[in-house]
Amino acid sequence: MRNGHADHIARLIEPGRVHRDVYTDPDVFELEMARIFGQAWLFVGHTSQVPQPGDYITTELGRQPVIMVRHRDGGVHVLLNRCTHRGAKVVNERKGNAPRLTCCYHGWSFDTDGRLASVPVPEGCAADFDKSDFSLGRAPRVGEYRGFVFASLAAKGPSLEDHIGPMKGNIDDLVDRAPDGALALDVGMHRYAYNGNWKLQVENVLDSYHVPFGHASTVNKQGVQFARREGDQKGAAVVETEKKQTAASWKDRKSYIAGNGHGWTSNTALDDGKRSSPAFDEYKRVLAEKVGAERAQQILTPRLHNSLIYPNMSIMGLNIHVRVIKPIAVDRTEVTIYPIRLVGAPAAMNFGNIRLLNVTHSAASFVQTDDLESFVRAQKGLRSHATDWVDISRGLGDEEPDRELNATRALATHEMVVRAQYKAWLGYMREAA
Amino acid sequence: MDAPARAPASPGSAGVDRAPIEQFLIHEARLLDSRRFREWMGLFAEDGTYWVPAVPNQESPFDQASLFYDDRDLMRTRVERLEHPRIHVQTPPSRTAHLVGNVLVEEADEAKGEYVVGSTVIMVEYRDDAQRVFAGQQRHWLRRDGASFRIVQKRVDLINCDSAFEAMAVPI
Repeated sequence: MRNGHADHIARLIEPGRVHRDVYTDPDVFELEMARIFGQAWLFVGHTSQVPQPGDYITTELGRQPVIMVRHRDGGVHVLLNRCTHRGAKVVNERKGNAPRLTCCYHGWSFDTDGRLASVPVPEGCAADFDKSDFSLGRAPRVGEYRGFVFASLAAKGPSLEDHIGPMKGNIDDLVDRAPDGALALDVGMHRYAYNGNWKLQVENVLDSYHVPFGHASTVNKQGVQFARREGDQKGAAVVETEKKQTAASWKDRKSYIAGNGHGWTSNTALDDGKRSSPAFDEYKRVLAEKVGAERAQQILTPRLHNSLIYPNMSIMGLNIHVRVIKPIAVDRTEVTIYPIRLVGAPAAMNFGNIRLLNVTHSAASFVQTDDLESFVRAQKGLRSHATDWVDISRGLGDEEPDRELNATRALATHEMVVRAQYKAWLGYMREAA
Repeated sequence: MDAPARAPASPGSAGVDRAPIEQFLIHEARLLDSRRFREWMGLFAEDGTYWVPAVPNQESPFDQASLFYDDRDLMRTRVERLEHPRIHVQTPPSRTAHLVGNVLVEEADEAKGEYVVGSTVIMVEYRDDAQRVFAGQQRHWLRRDGASFRIVQKRVDLINCDSAFEAMAVPI
């Protein structure tokens, strides 16, 4: 790509296919950093990661280092992690607590709301030097929904409400599982990386088509996956073994889109009637005690597998976690996976979730590793010039409205969700920031 | 078994014959390097666990994420998967070379036949044109079993445990 002109970008996306450049062209990637990661609402972190004044985490929005920090007044700020003096990254730890954020280079010290508090040897400052001109930069717009903090690096654009609106229910689905109605992302994280484009991971979270083949090694001789939820004796029927085909129940899964590139897949069919273990039964009892038996039953009836809040975050309802996708380069991506602690749930239930997430989504897990192999091979294969096009046409034209859910529905083994992501992608990419 | 805090060699381990213990650790490393994962699993006690923490000085596998925390059930699933013909992340398979050194018997209860053994491990892995190095401290809680031992817990603290890893398919 030689320029970022709208007509050139538009030519990369067709109804059932996308040009390989969207995965391989460094210029496209630079434009994505400016127009998608420089404009869109991005998930930053969760308020439970910074419960006390001075608590901070550091992360990246696109490639830009940021600090999410709680100030004395209780407010959570998303500050650019770059000293306003000579540009050094101010906070180097991944998380911590500090009354002031102090740059290692010349000792400029910032308050936890970003204001420059002190500079060493102030008598050397220029005559018109005004500390208030040197506050840490900040994300121009920050918003929160049930503890999930989002930020946009653009001063203008749709409100967070308008952006995630249809996905609030997906966040509620997770948060409501906590007997105390709150989540905590304070039980560590998994971090993995791969030599491939960030969109390979984004597309994968709602891809039900790949499971019987991509994850064949997680399926036993009866075609059933290992148990992934506390209380389950076995996992989902994925493969119909006699014909060696995708199992019927798997083929029934649905996917949904609701604008802005967001989407979700319906729950994995499991025998919820038989779900039982000391930890799960106790959790169920505690939940019912807090919210009533009928509401607890509703909450525990699975509706969702993965939910994608485009462009950088997903939530999983099966073995619960929050995933954050961080582009590093056109062919390099890092992902952070946060296990969820359900506040008010018995420790054994939370351990059950942590323990099973270790084997599904750690860098050494049974599930994620085969996906990473697919992403790496996709990036390698896309070097080929045999064709410039990547096919995303499964189920094209078969989408149907779901009026009850105010969404558009398709079979989950179709590729509607990917097409919806590229529609949103094009929306961001055509407009200059 | 709870992981006790890290401690220097206690006087209680004085006089313990290190040779059979060291031999056992070398045998374990060789099983891993020759991809005899099922036999490797067999070294663990029925209540045995394999733990690779995800942060330095991690106190417990119960209240936060770990890279690996396998009991025998999860270990069996892991081994079955490693034996599966369509494990894409092992096509081609990893080749590994473990080096186990600096072996120190930190605690010993000869009467019970229980030993805590610290060592340093380096594993070089080669797969699909890429070579990488894993290194760290490991600690084995061993229980005497006839002429040999069974692993009650193996804990590996990688020096880069909290970094972003590319896919790790084989145990350290």
